[in-house]
Amino acid sequence: MAMEARAGAPWRGYALAFLTVAAVSAVLLPFRALLAPNTVMLLYVPVIIAVASLAGVRASATAAVLAFLTLDFLFVPPYYRLTVASVAEWLGLLVFLIVALVSGQQAARLRARETAAVRRQGELELLNRLAFRIASEKSASAVAQFLVSQVVEVLDGVRAVLYAGRLGEGPECLAQAGLERPSGHEAEFVSWVLATGKAVGMPGVHGVPYDQRIVSVGAEGAVTGAVADAAYLPLQTSTGIEGVLVAELAPGVALTGDDARVLSAVANLAAASLERQRLEGEAAHVVALREADGLKTTLVRSVSHELKTPLAAATARVTGLVDEGGSCSAERVHDELMAVAEDLSRLDDSIGALLDLSRLESDTWQPRMEMEDIRDLLGTVRSKVTAGRRDRLMFVLPENLPEVEVDHAQLTRAISNLVENALAYTPPDTTVTIGAERAGANVRIWVQDQGAGVPDSEKAYVFEKFYRGSNSTSVPSGTGLGLAIAREIVRTHAGTLTVEDAVPNGARFVMTLPAATPEAE
Amino acid sequence: VIAETAPKRSSRVLVIDDEDQIRRALKSVLQARHYEVDLAETAEEGLELTATRVPDIIVLDLTLPGMSGLEACRRLREWYHGPILILSVRSGDDDKIAALDLGADDYLTKPFSSGELLARVRALLRRTQGADTSVNEMDAGDLHIDFAKRAVRLQGEPVHLTRIEFDILALLARNAGRVVTSRMLIDTVWGPEYEGETQTLRVHISNLRRKIEAPGDVSRYVLTEPGVGFRFAGPNEL
Repeated sequence: MAMEARAGAPWRGYALAFLTVAAVSAVLLPFRALLAPNTVMLLYVPVIIAVASLAGVRASATAAVLAFLTLDFLFVPPYYRLTVASVAEWLGLLVFLIVALVSGQQAARLRARETAAVRRQGELELLNRLAFRIASEKSASAVAQFLVSQVVEVLDGVRAVLYAGRLGEGPECLAQAGLERPSGHEAEFVSWVLATGKAVGMPGVHGVPYDQRIVSVGAEGAVTGAVADAAYLPLQTSTGIEGVLVAELAPGVALTGDDARVLSAVANLAAASLERQRLEGEAAHVVALREADGLKTTLVRSVSHELKTPLAAATARVTGLVDEGGSCSAERVHDELMAVAEDLSRLDDSIGALLDLSRLESDTWQPRMEMEDIRDLLGTVRSKVTAGRRDRLMFVLPENLPEVEVDHAQLTRAISNLVENALAYTPPDTTVTIGAERAGANVRIWVQDQGAGVPDSEKAYVFEKFYRGSNSTSVPSGTGLGLAIAREIVRTHAGTLTVEDAVPNGARFVMTLPAATPEAE
Repeated sequence: VIAETAPKRSSRVLVIDDEDQIRRALKSVLQARHYEVDLAETAEEGLELTATRVPDIIVLDLTLPGMSGLEACRRLREWYHGPILILSVRSGDDDKIAALDLGADDYLTKPFSSGELLARVRALLRRTQGADTSVNEMDAGDLHIDFAKRAVRLQGEPVHLTRIEFDILALLARNAGRVVTSRMLIDTVWGPEYEGETQTLRVHISNLRRKIEAPGDVSRYVLTEPGVGFRFAGPNEL
């Protein structure tokens, strides 16, 4: 979109007027004997209208006066003199001048209106484009980049920059387009605009004290007497200033009122966009905080329950023994102490599990990845099951299992937790089957039991901390964290852990991990 | 399960640990099993007591103030030939391996149960009392190893192992139930001047496993101790 007022300096219009009149006169001069002055006058009128369309009303008036003089001098006898033979010829010349002036003015006005309409439409299209992009684009940096590139394109500028910054915060450059050379005082101007909320170098914008591109601010501003080589606009919203838009034109080219209007509109859009992003960010943060707070409350309640129960039980037994003094039998003391040892062991398990879980969740327990044989991993899992229950385990392993790249200690811990969970919550005469198989680029390791299974309504919760299923009728013996730890470990291995129904009954926990060796042909 | 027969001659245990609670707990647990117990709070004190009391086994915590447990282990090994059992925290893998390579005999990760501790102490004492090294043949599950003839049978069928595979298996099996570090395996099989990588060792272990483990089953005999080394399954793990 060309900015009409910037298309040429005024002297170009006058030059155009002079040249066209001279050219037409030169063409017509050889035929002077054949042409009546009135005919020549008629031939000048379209030329003057053309000048009006191209160069505006002043140029066309100049052309009209020039044509009037040329007519008189060259085409109306006596030639080469400004005197006129008859009154009728005088009148003819006068009428020509008036017609030329009026039609030139009309043509120029129409032309200006058309140009303005085209420009308005261009501005509207630009603003539409920007608004659409701002509404549809999620990424803040993409919106900012689009804004500045449009500013450079539309204004024929050399550079545009968008800064984000609230009062009291340092401005942050979001995006820039065009040249990468920041002007000498850009940082100071941006800070000043952020601090005062006033624009710099913007003609005709409300509340702007500068229509010259010069700033001289007193003590409150950092810029004194420096020349602003670009326009700086505050991005103003109802709640404050969101940032600064900088637009720089070619050296020596001033912003027009039209440019200023476009820039202001872009700045308003940019301000709205930045404000929206900031508010969305704050809202998301608040939601996250609220959720974390809720989780923390639940967790603290569960943790204190898990830790206090065994402690209370142990305390009760020990104080009971103390109260009875020396009167109880050695057998009873032994039984009570055995029970206390169990309570303490459970407490120790819970504390250890909690510490591990928090290490896993905060990613401080980084896995030490190595190529591992699944048979070896499952062998370690098997060796950790106490001897009495090992007969309940069955393994289903195809040959040519791929290797996996995992942390041996962590992954066997995860599988052990699944196995212990299955052993604990199913009848002692049932089998727990552990298997592995390739599934495309992945490996599936599964643990299947013959218990009551996990109801669909609880499948989403079994991996939550301290969740105990409604089917777990037996007294809980574990920490309530085994499955949560297993899932966290699998997560740090870029895998997934899910539970599904086994056929014909029972639960099947499926761990999916990326295979480290490619599928055999 | 916990009840056990007391050793015929009461063995003397030296516990070197800076934590008072651990020292007191170990003392009462060990004394209840009729061990004689000496306690040291620092490595320096521990070295002194080792010289004066001549313990049959030393339980050494790796994280000590002043002289580190690792340094104590190095100095003890210059002249003390009894077993050393290391206590370490879970994150202290590197120290644990270093201590094992320096000649410590086994490790326990804190927290541990008294049952675990007693089992390790018993196993280490039995071993240094010369029971295991004199063994020429052993049976573990379906596996039969004849150390003298360098022959291995699985379910009665002879298994052909390379020299390196047999050396690895023999070292692991003679230390059944105890961890053997990668460094120790490399030193024993290839000699201490060998600069090979543990990757080579892993390849041999993998080949060994393929020969002695049943296809379609998990690894039963040779287990990985992640980050440390390998272990032949103990009698109650098979």
